[in-house]
Amino acid sequence: MKTTSFVLLVLVVAVLMYGTADIPKWGDPNAPASNHVSPYYLRHSIEDTATPNVVTSVLADYRGYDTLGETTVVFTAGMACLLLLKRVKSGGKDDV
Amino acid sequence: MFEYLVDYYNYWMFIGLMAIGFYAMMVKRNLVKKIIGMNIFQSAIVFFYISTSVKRGSVTVPILEHSAGHDAGHGIDIMHYANPLPHVLMLTAIVVMVATLGVAVAVTIMIYRRHGTLEEDEILASVRRR
Repeated sequence: MKTTSFVLLVLVVAVLMYGTADIPKWGDPNAPASNHVSPYYLRHSIEDTATPNVVTSVLADYRGYDTLGETTVVFTAGMACLLLLKRVKSGGKDDV
Repeated sequence: MFEYLVDYYNYWMFIGLMAIGFYAMMVKRNLVKKIIGMNIFQSAIVFFYISTSVKRGSVTVPILEHSAGHDAGHGIDIMHYANPLPHVLMLTAIVVMVATLGVAVAVTIMIYRRHGTLEEDEILASVRRR
């Protein structure tokens, strides 16, 4: 069991190391990740949202629906914790 | 060779961190140790994404400096600011991380209340006895 996991782990690490050869160098300013939408956010953040902090304007304005869904995730997790940890009164079906 | 090392060593660090978390999730018998492994794994992913937002050169955090005036957006040099998008996405990922951690710990508490142990094999034995 332990040996199987170790072999699997080495395999995963090898595949990921092989994959790093194709991704852009660390700190490359012309990497694809910095060249599609993020220049738009940096240039238009002030006139669109009047917020100097671009992270805030993207989080709460450009991608506001994402943040709304995020609050749903937190709410669901909180409800799950509450329902799991609630002490059942004696006489209930589950004697936890 | 050294150039290659400097350009890519950060990815190898994250792969190593991820391997530590993955190993803990697969091999450790204690459920709390498994949860810690999961958190290390997720941290490695977050670090990886944050590292993609780095740009070499005179780069600062994505908070715009000349924010006054109407045509403020035109004088902005995008090579002067780090990529804000991975930061935002990882903010979301951190929230999901906390949510999964909370639910996982709650489930672990329930398992401990019912079986009195957190070791996997003992839990299996306890389940078979019922």
